[in-house]
Amino acid sequence: MSTSALSTVPADESAEKTGSSPSVSPPSAEPKKRSWSARPRTIDPVRREAVVAGRPAVLCVDNISVSFDGFKALTNLTLILEKGELRCLIGPNGAGKTTLMDVITGKTKPDSGTVFLTHDARDLTQLAEYEIAELGICRKFQRPTVFAGHTVYENLELALQGKKGVLSSLFFRLSAAQKTTIEGILEQIGLHEHAAVRAGQLAHGQKQWLEIGMLLAQNPKVLLVDEPIAGMTHQESERTAELLKSLAGERTVVVVEHDMEFVRSIAKKVTVLHQGSVLAEGDIDSVQNDPRVVEVYLGEPRT
Amino acid sequence: MTAEPAVGLKALHSRRGWIGVGAATLIVGVIVPLLSVAVPASSPLHVPDYLVALLGKFLCYGIVALAIDLIWGFTGILSLGHGVFFALGGYAMGMYLMLSIGAQGVYKSVLPDFMVFLDWKELPWFWRGFDNLSVALAAALLVPGLLAFAFGYFAFRSRIRGVYFSIITQALTYALMLLFFRNETGFGGNNGLTDFKSLYGYDLHEPSTKVALYVLSALGLLLTYLLCRFIVTSKAGRVLRAIRDVESRAMFVGFNPTSYKLFAWTLSAILCGLAGALYVPQVGIINPGEMQPANSIEMAIWVAVGGRATLFGAILGAFLVNGMRSFFTAAMPNAWLYILGSLFIAVTLFFPDGVAGALGRLKRKS
Repeated sequence: MSTSALSTVPADESAEKTGSSPSVSPPSAEPKKRSWSARPRTIDPVRREAVVAGRPAVLCVDNISVSFDGFKALTNLTLILEKGELRCLIGPNGAGKTTLMDVITGKTKPDSGTVFLTHDARDLTQLAEYEIAELGICRKFQRPTVFAGHTVYENLELALQGKKGVLSSLFFRLSAAQKTTIEGILEQIGLHEHAAVRAGQLAHGQKQWLEIGMLLAQNPKVLLVDEPIAGMTHQESERTAELLKSLAGERTVVVVEHDMEFVRSIAKKVTVLHQGSVLAEGDIDSVQNDPRVVEVYLGEPRT
Repeated sequence: MTAEPAVGLKALHSRRGWIGVGAATLIVGVIVPLLSVAVPASSPLHVPDYLVALLGKFLCYGIVALAIDLIWGFTGILSLGHGVFFALGGYAMGMYLMLSIGAQGVYKSVLPDFMVFLDWKELPWFWRGFDNLSVALAAALLVPGLLAFAFGYFAFRSRIRGVYFSIITQALTYALMLLFFRNETGFGGNNGLTDFKSLYGYDLHEPSTKVALYVLSALGLLLTYLLCRFIVTSKAGRVLRAIRDVESRAMFVGFNPTSYKLFAWTLSAILCGLAGALYVPQVGIINPGEMQPANSIEMAIWVAVGGRATLFGAILGAFLVNGMRSFFTAAMPNAWLYILGSLFIAVTLFFPDGVAGALGRLKRKS
């Protein structure tokens, strides 16, 4: 799907709200990247209250803009994630889904805007990746990335929540409670039999589950999952749907997925991104019947 | 549960592994020196002095190889500048040895000969304190450690990795070599430090002193091995390998790669400093030639030939390549560099996991 075909979409509500122009603008028109090191490292409490607006929010993405060499990947994007929800993020290619994940996890620094956890005063866009991970925001990549040379057990051990410094790792010993946690996760992701196997030798689907298991071991508040069923068999994706549903409730789970059947099977609330902004948000049926969404995304014939 | 990582001494080695370490220590650290000192020279079992001196050098190279294996094999950072840390450790020890010559030098001055030659009237400030062995030993470890820390801090923080990092380490050793070549730098310039007489009151030309230094080097190698083994079998070792394999993932599970790399890198430099300090009294000279870029590359070749990320392979590689070097530089002096180059190419093409890896595969087959 090409983005130029989509730029004919008439200016809609969300576009008006955010005041965005078509996101593909000539590179020369782009202002120079602002130096973000001079920005305040904490969130203004008044602003926080205004964004949260009394909702049981966990993570807020407030008015984020990102551009790469003039291409606006995200434009004034705002997203509020509530406690314990399972949110699906959909949108055509280039809509900014992965960029949004990159911004939340600290991989990409935005041009403007903030990301914050409601219980913490720090602006996440000012922190390093590992610091954000320590705060309880974990991410599963599009392609399964596990430590291939380590055993399944060691993968979980490394992911386990706790001190991550050099000294504590040198003298680290698994406590009984930590062993129980790992056993529990092995059971949950169905890899108990494979605990001593090198992760590189697992089947594709098993690697995906191991990666989800590693996220669980980190005991995150927010779990970001990028295309969890890519390349999975039908049975494997059904199991994955069960796994993800069982995770929400305690934790907030955000799933980026293309497969609408899969989205329908797991999501209560869906956010549609388009050209770097939120196009629509709501339950799956209302979103699916939204004419704008149909036009930009669902109306496209699936291959 | 077999999947859980073992703890304590069991984590370092299996029972058979410990027997192997014990046997190697016994042969290299006890039997060889005994055969040299206690067996008369007429006996066929006698180990000649030149062989003890040669093996003593190899033991120091073994420490260097372990240090490189820690940072390259386990952390994935190829240093082509470890010669500089080795040389700095050697210089610290050389300074102590220079000062303990006292007034026995050619010019009968308390100042080292090269300073008299340069018409210096007193010791430069950075030579002060080096008449004390413990100060010199501390400097042999700390100076390479601090240099590595400062260098690594900026390199890793700027996320410089791969071949770029390797090239910068070559530049580092080259720059320091040029610096040490200058007479004004105060380390004997081109000639370096040499003509040592005694170490802590013991005559360096006595065979018994030589054997003692040999045993100390063997002990140094054993302790370095056990330390590296402890690190790589701990969770920190698993983190280092995780950073080597998928740095981004390691970061997203909450490890700060910079601090882990800096730890392995600095420790590696300190171990090289130790090796240099043990090496210099045995060979009797240290000069800027040790900092030649080619020297550091050769050190990396030892580890590549022996097998990366095995520790034991690194020691094996250091002994093997240096053994060949001793043989070929005597038998056909002009061919050695060609042989070394071909060896490196052959290992890269046919045994990417080195001799240790090839041995492991043979063992699994049988």
